[in-house]
Amino acid sequence: MAWLMLPVFIKSIAKTSFYEFQAPVSLTSSYVRDLQDFWAARTKSKNELYEAGQGLARLNAAYELTALENNTLRDEISRLENLLQLPSRPDYQYEIARVVERDFNAWWQRIIIRKGRDYGIPVGAPVVFVGGVVGRVSEVHAYTSVVDIISNSHLRLAVVIGGDNRPMSYRGGGAESFATPVGIAEFIPVDIQISDTNDLPTLVTSGMGGVYPAGIRVGEIRRLKQGAGGMFYDGEVLLDERLASLTEVAVMIQIPPER
Amino acid sequence: MNAEEKMKYQGRLLLFYGLLALMISTLLGTVGYRQLIETDFFSERVKVQNHRRIVTPAPRGNIYDREGRLLVGNKPKFSAVVYLSDAGVRSAFRNEYRILVRDYRERNEDYRTGRLQKQARANVIQTYLDDVNRMLGREDKVDIEKVSTHLNYNPLLPFPIIDDITREEFAVLLESLPVQSPVQVYVSNQRNYPYESTASHTLGYVSSTVLTPDEGLPGEDLTTFAEKGTFGRSGVEKQFDDILQGEMGMEIWVVDPYGFQVESQERRYPTKGNDIQLSLDIDIQNAAENAFWYYDQSEGKDKENIGAAVMLDASTLEVLAMVSKPDYDLNDTTPFISNETYEKMKENSGLQNRAIQGVYPPGSPFKLLTSAAAMKANIISADTAHYCPGYYRFSSGAVQRCWKQTGHQEEILWEAIRDSCNVYFYLTGLDTGVDIISNEATYWGLANRTGIDLPHETGSMRVGTKEYKRKITGQAWYAGDDTNLAIGQGFTRLTPLQMAVFAASVGRNEVVSTPSILRLSPQQVAQRPPPKATGLTKDQHQILLNGMIASAQMGSSQRIKVDGLSIAAKTGTAEVAKDGGKIELAWIVAFAPVENPQVSLAVIIEGQTLNENFFGGVHAAPIARAMLEAYTSKNPDALTPPPTATAALP
Repeated sequence: MAWLMLPVFIKSIAKTSFYEFQAPVSLTSSYVRDLQDFWAARTKSKNELYEAGQGLARLNAAYELTALENNTLRDEISRLENLLQLPSRPDYQYEIARVVERDFNAWWQRIIIRKGRDYGIPVGAPVVFVGGVVGRVSEVHAYTSVVDIISNSHLRLAVVIGGDNRPMSYRGGGAESFATPVGIAEFIPVDIQISDTNDLPTLVTSGMGGVYPAGIRVGEIRRLKQGAGGMFYDGEVLLDERLASLTEVAVMIQIPPER
Repeated sequence: MNAEEKMKYQGRLLLFYGLLALMISTLLGTVGYRQLIETDFFSERVKVQNHRRIVTPAPRGNIYDREGRLLVGNKPKFSAVVYLSDAGVRSAFRNEYRILVRDYRERNEDYRTGRLQKQARANVIQTYLDDVNRMLGREDKVDIEKVSTHLNYNPLLPFPIIDDITREEFAVLLESLPVQSPVQVYVSNQRNYPYESTASHTLGYVSSTVLTPDEGLPGEDLTTFAEKGTFGRSGVEKQFDDILQGEMGMEIWVVDPYGFQVESQERRYPTKGNDIQLSLDIDIQNAAENAFWYYDQSEGKDKENIGAAVMLDASTLEVLAMVSKPDYDLNDTTPFISNETYEKMKENSGLQNRAIQGVYPPGSPFKLLTSAAAMKANIISADTAHYCPGYYRFSSGAVQRCWKQTGHQEEILWEAIRDSCNVYFYLTGLDTGVDIISNEATYWGLANRTGIDLPHETGSMRVGTKEYKRKITGQAWYAGDDTNLAIGQGFTRLTPLQMAVFAASVGRNEVVSTPSILRLSPQQVAQRPPPKATGLTKDQHQILLNGMIASAQMGSSQRIKVDGLSIAAKTGTAEVAKDGGKIELAWIVAFAPVENPQVSLAVIIEGQTLNENFFGGVHAAPIARAMLEAYTSKNPDALTPPPTATAALP
C-alpha cells in the first residue's frame, strides 16, 4: 500500500536504481568466486600445472593455426568483395564478459554478465559462446548487463538450417520445472525431414535479421509436427547443455561501417 | 386495534404472504426451469452471441508430372500484420480518438464521431506501420478506408499492413519485432509454378476468394470470419479442385461485447489438399514449347509461333504434352491477376487453350478419314487410280486447283496420301459423298468432344453435313462442298487434341477415345472405354500407313524424321477466311513407331500474316520432330528398325 502511495518519480528512480544497488552485491560475490577459483588453482601441484600448461600450449598452437587460416580467409573474402563490388559484411567487436549470475527457472531464462555501460554494451547486442548463440542483451546497467538467453520465450531470431537459405523463426520455449530448456522453430519447410536421430538438422543464425551474423549455431531440431497453417512444420529445438553452466560469454558489438 | 380489526388485518397479511409466496415460487420456478430445463437453449444463445469462428484455408495439394517432378506447389507469402484484437491496440484506438476529439474541441471545430474513429484507427495503424517501415527502410502508408472496412467486416482477422514482404524482410522483422508486439509477421501461402509459363493452359490458375466453410466444420451456427482462400479457375486447377483443396482449419473464439478476441475455445488446423500426378512429361512439354520459337529475320528477333501441339501415349491415351501458344507466366496470376497481366494474357486469344478450345479446319490430315470412309464403302481400293492435271473442273465449268499446279499425274491411293494430292481426294469425295464421309468421321469420334478430363473443352467441333450447311447458310449441298469436305476444308472444324486422338486411332487401327491428363494406374488403364474396330481390313489399314510412312520419309512430312524412329505422318495446310483475305494453318499429325505406336501427336501453327503461305511440312513438322526426339531420348525402346513398308514405296 505504501509503495502504491509513493509518487511516480520516486518509484521510477527506485526501479531504475534497483539493479545499480544490487549489482555491487552480485559483482562482489562474482569476484569472490573468481578468487576462490584462483586459490583453488594455487593448491594444484606443479605436475598438474605443468600438464595443464602443456595442454594449453597445444591448444594455443592449434588456435594460432586457425587464426592464420582465418586471416587468409578474411583476405580472400575482402578480395572477392572488392572484385564483385559487394558491400562489406558488418564487423563486430567482441567484448568478453564473466557471468555473474544465472537465473534459470520457469519465470526467467537469463544471465547477468559483468560488463555494462562501462564497456559500451548496447541493448539488443547478440551474445555468443563457444557452443553458439547465448542470447541477446535486454538490459544494460552501469557495470552489469542482463542477457535473455535463447530458451527465453521472449527471444526470437531468424534462423536457417545449415546449408539451406530459407529463413525460419526460432523462439525460446521457456522451461518447465526440472525440465531441460528448449526452443521452438516455426515455418520449417516440409521437405525438411529427420531421418537419423544421430544427425539432427542444425539451426544456425540466418544473418538476414540484422542482429546476428550468419552461421552461429543455435541448436538441433529433434522433433517435427504439423504447423498451424498446414504448410510448414513446427519443431522442437534441442539447445546446448553448456548454456546451463556458462561462466564466460562474448558480447558482439557491431562496428559501424566506415563512411 | 381490536380483535375484529386484527383479524381483518391478519387476513390481508395472509393474502399478501400468499401472493408473495406465489410470486417468489413463480420466480424460482421460472429460474429453475430456465436453469435446469432450458440450459442447452440458453447456453447455445450465449455461445452464438459471444463466440466467433475464424476459418482458415488449407494449402492446396501439389501437382506433379508423370515422373514426380513438381509442376505446381505452394510457396509462403510473408506479410506484416497488426492483430487488432490486441488489448494494446484497442487501448491505443481509444487514446488516439480522445486526443483527436480534444484537438477538435480546442479548435472549436465540429466533428463527426464515425469519421474521427476511422481517422483515429488509421493513425494508430500508421504508427505501427512507421515502426515496420523504419525496420525495413520502407515508406508505406496506411489506406484509411481499408482499415475501416477491415474493422467493420473482419475485426478478428489480422490486418495486413505490408503484403508480400521478402524473405530478408521477414527475417529482419522476426528479430526486430518484440514477441508480444501486436505487429507480427504472418505467413500465408500462394501457388508457385516453378516452370513459369510451361503448360500454363493445361495446369490452369487459381483465384482468391472468401471460401465457404466446409460442411461439418464445428461452429456452423456462429458468426464466421473466413480468410481468403483459392479455387481453381482453369485447367487442372479447376478440374481437380475438389482433390486439391484441403480441409479448412478453424478457431472458435470467445469475444467481448466489442467483438474482440478474448479466449480461444477450439482449434482445428487446416490440412493440405491431396496431391495429383499428371500424365504430362515436362521434358517433352519443354521440348515442344521451345520448338515454338523461331528467329524472325525481318524483325531481327526471336518470336513465338501461335498454335497448339498435343502428344498422347497411343496405348493409354494419356497426354504427354499439351501446348497452346501464346501463353502466360502462371506466377503472374498469383496472388491475383492484375489488369495489366490480364490484358497481356488476352492478347492473341492467349487465354484460350487452343489444344482443346481452338477449332480449325483439319486440312489434308482429314484425307486419311476420307480414304477410310471410301475404302470401307468399297468406293476405292488400293489400286484405284486418278489422274491429277493440277486442277479439277466441275460440270458447271468451275475449277478447283490442286496445291501442285503442274499436277501429280496418275496416282493410286497411297501415293495420293504421300503427295497429299487434292484432285485425287476431290474425286474420291465426289464418289463417296458427304453422308458416308460425315458418318465415318462421327464414327471416329470427330464430331464430339474427346471427353478429356480438362474443363472447357469446346463443343464447337463439327464435321460438315448437308443439315449443318442448310442451317448456317440456308443453301443446299453442292459438289464443291463434297470436294472441300474430302480435303478437310469447308465446314469441318476440329481441335488439335481430336487430331492427336485420330492419329492414335489410325496408328492402332482402333477407334480410341477419352484422353486423360491424369497419370493412370494399370487398373485405371484396364477400365478405360474399350476401343472400337475401325472396320478397315489389315490391307486397307496398311495403305494408310504406307502413305503416311512415305510422307514422313520422302514426302511433305520429311522434316519430322528422327534417326532410327519409324514414323507415319501426314501434313496439311488449311485455310480460314479473315479480313477479306486468308490465313493459312499448318498441320501435322503423326504416330510412332509405326509397328507398335507408342505416341501420337498433332501440331497446328496459325499463320500470322494475311495471305502468307504456310506449310505443315515447314512450320509444324520441326515441332513434331522436337517432341519425338524428346520422347525417344527417354524411351530408346521406341527406336526400332526402319519401317518394313518401304517395300511398298516406288
